[in-house]
Amino acid sequence: MAEILELVWILAKIVVLLVPLLIAVAYMTYAERKVIGWIQLRRGPNRVGAYGLLQPFADALKLMLKEIVLPLNANRGLFVIAPMLSIMPALAAWAVLPVGQGLVIADVNAGLLYVLAMASLGVYGVIVAGWASNSKYALLGALRAGAQVVSYEIAMGFALVGVLMASGSLNISEIVEAQAGPIWNWFWLPLLPLFIVYWISGVAETNRLPFDVAEGESEIVAGFHVEYSGMAFAVFFLAEYANMILISGLAAIMFLGGWYSPFHGLPVLGPIFDLVPGMIWFCLKVAFFLFCYIWFRGTFPRYRYDQIMRLGWKVLIPVTVVWLVVESVFILTGFGPWF
Amino acid sequence: MVESYLPILVFIVLAVGLGVLLPVLGFILGPRRPDDEKLSPYECGFEAFEDSRMKFDVRYYLVAILFIIFDLEIAFLFPWAIVLDKVGLFGFGAMALFVGILLVGFLYEWKKGALEWE
Amino acid sequence: MIELIIFYVFAAVLIFAATMVITARNPVHSALFLVLAFFNSGVLWLLAQAEFLGIAVVLVYVGAVMVLFLFVVMMLDINVAPLREGFARYLPVGVLVGAAMLLEMLLVLGSGELSAVGLAGGASEALGGVGTAQSNTALIGNVLYTIYVYPFEVAAVVLMLAIIAAIMLTLRRRSGTKHQDIAKQVHTRKAERLRVVRMNPEKRD
Repeated sequence: MAEILELVWILAKIVVLLVPLLIAVAYMTYAERKVIGWIQLRRGPNRVGAYGLLQPFADALKLMLKEIVLPLNANRGLFVIAPMLSIMPALAAWAVLPVGQGLVIADVNAGLLYVLAMASLGVYGVIVAGWASNSKYALLGALRAGAQVVSYEIAMGFALVGVLMASGSLNISEIVEAQAGPIWNWFWLPLLPLFIVYWISGVAETNRLPFDVAEGESEIVAGFHVEYSGMAFAVFFLAEYANMILISGLAAIMFLGGWYSPFHGLPVLGPIFDLVPGMIWFCLKVAFFLFCYIWFRGTFPRYRYDQIMRLGWKVLIPVTVVWLVVESVFILTGFGPWF
Repeated sequence: MVESYLPILVFIVLAVGLGVLLPVLGFILGPRRPDDEKLSPYECGFEAFEDSRMKFDVRYYLVAILFIIFDLEIAFLFPWAIVLDKVGLFGFGAMALFVGILLVGFLYEWKKGALEWE
Repeated sequence: MIELIIFYVFAAVLIFAATMVITARNPVHSALFLVLAFFNSGVLWLLAQAEFLGIAVVLVYVGAVMVLFLFVVMMLDINVAPLREGFARYLPVGVLVGAAMLLEMLLVLGSGELSAVGLAGGASEALGGVGTAQSNTALIGNVLYTIYVYPFEVAAVVLMLAIIAAIMLTLRRRSGTKHQDIAKQVHTRKAERLRVVRMNPEKRD
């Protein structure tokens, strides 16, 4: 009996996290269209509902009512499973992210390792979708996207190792608590190169501009999901935005102090700003990163594929390795107020 | 300790369920009118030129192998990062040797041009 | 109770997936069932309190090794039918090898050297005692870089050999392709590419 109650409690917590997350994913599409519209000196959607706020629902309804075309000779089972393989890791990684003090679904001791494992699983949706579509463009796009994601995962892993060294624990709540303090206490300052590398790798992992050559709309026409339509395509879309929010959430947690306010611990301003709940600070930081994502999309030209691979292997990995050595010297000699 | 993983299992099951539910909803709610032209693979309006299997490009294989090696390196770095203060200088030296050996391999692949072209 | 159910479910799926790996007709299906099998064995390791290793199995095997398998299997158009033809001929030898391995496993597992008490007691003594506040990963880290540093360094050498072997065996320099030296491209200066010339205005008749 007690176990059933526990399961119900877990389910309740999950629903409380998932529903706002899915709404956030849906409205991310709206935010992107609006912000890119303003960057390009035009308004985004503003017809459906006041200021276009009902646009995501209109889009969802449209996609749900469209036909899902199963191409000839496509591998049926894999074709249908691929979107699920894409969205499962993007959502499952949220189980260990704390959005506030103690507000985490599963407080596991190997949280960061679990998140990295889920990020590694994200490549399967892409590869299986590309292969199951039985189309040259899809397969080529899938392999290129897969190789790109996999190359930037290394740089991301090294950046995470740097954060681990600074915080001393794989438990994500403890990583945030190690940054307790005002804004200069957070990890972005001593780990600045790793922060930048993590952020660039994050943008590359989610296949967003300037690294979106594998789904480059004008080159290989949407790449691995070219044969998808209707709700199956929508799930890929949702998975991409869920990944974006996940990467932003991780960046906020690992480098920008999670749920702490920038004035936490200061004599006068501290208590005033601490009245704002930690969850709001976390959401603000995530929103900042999401705005950066959209900003990059509206501003930068696209990298060529060989430039992308060169950046991932020849630039980001050496930078991270060098900074890891520097950081370990910092830690062993006890330099600075952070270690 | 392992009890704290139960919510993760429930979450994964829920995420899988969501990922299956949405396309199924799409199948149910959407029309099904298969048509020869709709079902053929996308080729910008042309007939497909040849079989959709492309020539085996060994660069993808190389990238995947290099990724395995570095992923293992990261997996070894994880426990070290946590116990750095406890294993002290000796542990640092051991890991420095480990990373150094792998750096030799990385340098070899850089110089050989395995990181080019892609 | 829940743990028991979870164990049986995942063990059953693992056995099913493992059987499908060797009996599936399509090699890509085979590889994907292997992914499922690794995932399930990772969960089983988690149930055995091996937190770091359970998740590392998913991270390394599923996330890296199987991606390599899938890349290769998807790009090669493997025709499975001729490979399957010799099945009946090789069956006796296969059964013999399988029986030998089973015998060896039974000898090792049933010998009493690996009894549960002995293993847990010895291991937790080495790792700092049961009930310490350290996480599983920290316990592993405490011994891996101090007591077991020699196998650790040997692992590094093996990995480096893998890099070198992979490159030596597969890298082919394609003649006739032009490739760009991006470092040079990034380092060009305006003076190397542009020359501003001043001209007097000329009358146009």
